Amino acid sequence: MPSDKTSDHKDGAPPAGQTSFAQHTSKIRHFFSIPAPVKVLFDKVPVLTYPPNDLPQRAPKPARIPSLYVFIKKEDAAAGRPSYNPSCLKWQTFLNFADINHRLMPSSNHASPSGVLPFLLPPSKTPQEAPTPITSNKLVKYVEEQGKTVEESSSMRYEAYQSLIDHRIRDAWVSIHPLPRALNFSAVAYHLYVSPTSSNPLVRASISHQLRSAAEAELLKHTAIIDTDDLYSEADKAFEALSILLGEDSWFFGTSQPTLFDASIFAYTQLLLDDELGWQEKKLCRALRRRANLVQHRERLLVRYFGGS
Amino acid sequence: MVLELHIWGPAFGLPSIDPHCLAAIAYLQQAVPRGKWQLIATSDPALSPTNELPALRNGDIWIGGFRNIFHYVAQFSSGEWVLDAGLPDQQGADCIAFSSFVEAHGQPLIDLSLYVSSQNYTSTTRPLYNSIQPFPLPYLTPPSVRATAKQRTAHLGLSSLDVDTEDADAAQEKSIIPESLRKSKNTVSSLLAANPESNAQIRLDALATNYFEPLQKIKGKKPYLVSDSQFSSLDCLALGYLSLMLIPSLPQPWLAKTMRKKFPDLCAWTEDMIENVFGGPVKAEDALLPNGGDSASAEQKAYLPWTAPKNGGAVGIGSVFLSSIADSIPIVGQLRRNTRMRLHGGKTLDDELHSSSWQGVAAISSIVAGLGLAVGYMFQQGLIPLSSGEEPVKEKNASLDTFGDAGAALSVFATQLDAEAQRQRMGESHGAPVAEVAVEAGPGGVTVTDNVA
Repeated sequence: MPSDKTSDHKDGAPPAGQTSFAQHTSKIRHFFSIPAPVKVLFDKVPVLTYPPNDLPQRAPKPARIPSLYVFIKKEDAAAGRPSYNPSCLKWQTFLNFADINHRLMPSSNHASPSGVLPFLLPPSKTPQEAPTPITSNKLVKYVEEQGKTVEESSSMRYEAYQSLIDHRIRDAWVSIHPLPRALNFSAVAYHLYVSPTSSNPLVRASISHQLRSAAEAELLKHTAIIDTDDLYSEADKAFEALSILLGEDSWFFGTSQPTLFDASIFAYTQLLLDDELGWQEKKLCRALRRRANLVQHRERLLVRYFGGS
Repeated sequence: MVLELHIWGPAFGLPSIDPHCLAAIAYLQQAVPRGKWQLIATSDPALSPTNELPALRNGDIWIGGFRNIFHYVAQFSSGEWVLDAGLPDQQGADCIAFSSFVEAHGQPLIDLSLYVSSQNYTSTTRPLYNSIQPFPLPYLTPPSVRATAKQRTAHLGLSSLDVDTEDADAAQEKSIIPESLRKSKNTVSSLLAANPESNAQIRLDALATNYFEPLQKIKGKKPYLVSDSQFSSLDCLALGYLSLMLIPSLPQPWLAKTMRKKFPDLCAWTEDMIENVFGGPVKAEDALLPNGGDSASAEQKAYLPWTAPKNGGAVGIGSVFLSSIADSIPIVGQLRRNTRMRLHGGKTLDDELHSSSWQGVAAISSIVAGLGLAVGYMFQQGLIPLSSGEEPVKEKNASLDTFGDAGAALSVFATQLDAEAQRQRMGESHGAPVAEVAVEAGPGGVTVTDNVA
């Protein structure tokens, strides 16, 4: 005990040359020592170390199969139904094509290491080591490493039609969703993205504001002004072109099995044709319904990979 | 009625510096008969309802954006001036898909090559705006175009192209070894650091190749991109983008180099089209001076119906200047953009209801914050007195000051009097010690203070 030591030191007569120095150090030591009453109290109440707590019930448990984190409702995740976010749905469908058994975890952007969903958490090999999450752009490689194959089309038109989906249809999708003037924001997006996150009105207001401003910023990158009429007519033309491309085939580019391209178009057609989402403004849905072969394409995939509706 | 096409001014020997403007020129040149339209290099996007060029003017009607212009021209001529009419289904679909591809993947390449790359931007692109815009505007337009370009290409992770060359110079000057005694060591890393373009060369090459390859494949040996015989809207758009990639001679010509080396067919096609559609190189004077100029431009006039821009004199330029300054101020600019968007898109009742709650919260909180700031400022400046004890003293001083010079003289006199009185007191105190006893009675009892002078 420091206090005992100092008293010992004081009692034993120190050598003459060190006296002042020793006094000085003992003063400092005395300053840091525990006062006697506190020491008595601590002796009466010893420190006890408890064993570590268990993880909370809702903490993710190590699984044998990979988990895909997507925007989805809880009950839909258990049933393996499609996600309500197009980019999540695209990769979910892709994993279904590759026949990789996975479980769906409802999640939000805040949970993702890269800030965007979806990501895949492979099964952990040892309980201590946490597996590295796989972001969507590395999923194709992951599927190949698992020894599964998804057919790839090598058509010269692939890039061009892919850009139709990634830009034209996506821009229209973004614009019908969270823009301030879009009817659909309160009807669809609010219930899907905002209300599950929190019940606090301030947090909800802030999240919905973030969502809208992100969507606006995304659209304003390419044009000076958001011209919804132009976006709609471009999306309509895009559906027309895709419908012509599909023609009478089962899958795009005449492949025998569906490819990633089918997954990316399905991600939008499924959501636009899903009546349960309750779209209020149905311009885009109507444009899609006019193309019968795209509607059939969606039905085909839904029955084959998601077990009916 | 003559249609007026307003565009960004000519650059690099092309009729415009902007790919969409080039596409619109090509479209009108091919679709609309001569004499029915005019080309005006206004270089002022504020004219257009969508705040972007190209813009088409027909009397009082303004149409902004090249796609809207295509639609309007078709509508205006009741389906006569259309390039894509009569394309077979498959070709029509290809035309739509590749238009999207050319635009979506070509824009980042042009952004990187002309605006993001520091060397190209400072030595070539920025000076060009001096020739196409009236005086104060070139200080504002190129930086804002560059900022948008950087935003658009941020996801590619090639921001290293934008370098501060001054840093590299400073590092070299620090060495104490004289220039003549220094060995020039061209290590690989120093070469790469000096030239970010070569550093990113592999990625840039891959980007460019991914862009040109599908175009080369779809074109094949045909004279036009999708059709054997018909000039389509896709050709207009591709011409706009490809010519801006191929023609400019830049200090860092990676884009043109890749194109010439790997895709000679596309280069030949682009050069042919420039000759056929734009009628060869365009000079800035052709577009901007009232009557063309020398005889060389008369030939040019035969191709494109240039008309000199009227930019409304100093007042017009001033208002454009002010509005672009307002756009670049953080909060004001955002508000201006928002109102512009609202004006353009139709309002709905729901929108009003929904945004009003958020706007209400924002307005109230900003008012509260503003009031708080104002009150804080007043306290800090002493406009609101915190304690009234000191005020009378200050006022006394102030009252002397109000007499001006006389007051100053008086105050000197007063201090003299004070000093004399003090001296007197000192003299007295030397005579006999005076004891002052102050007794204070308070709630804590009686305190006695002794002062012996």
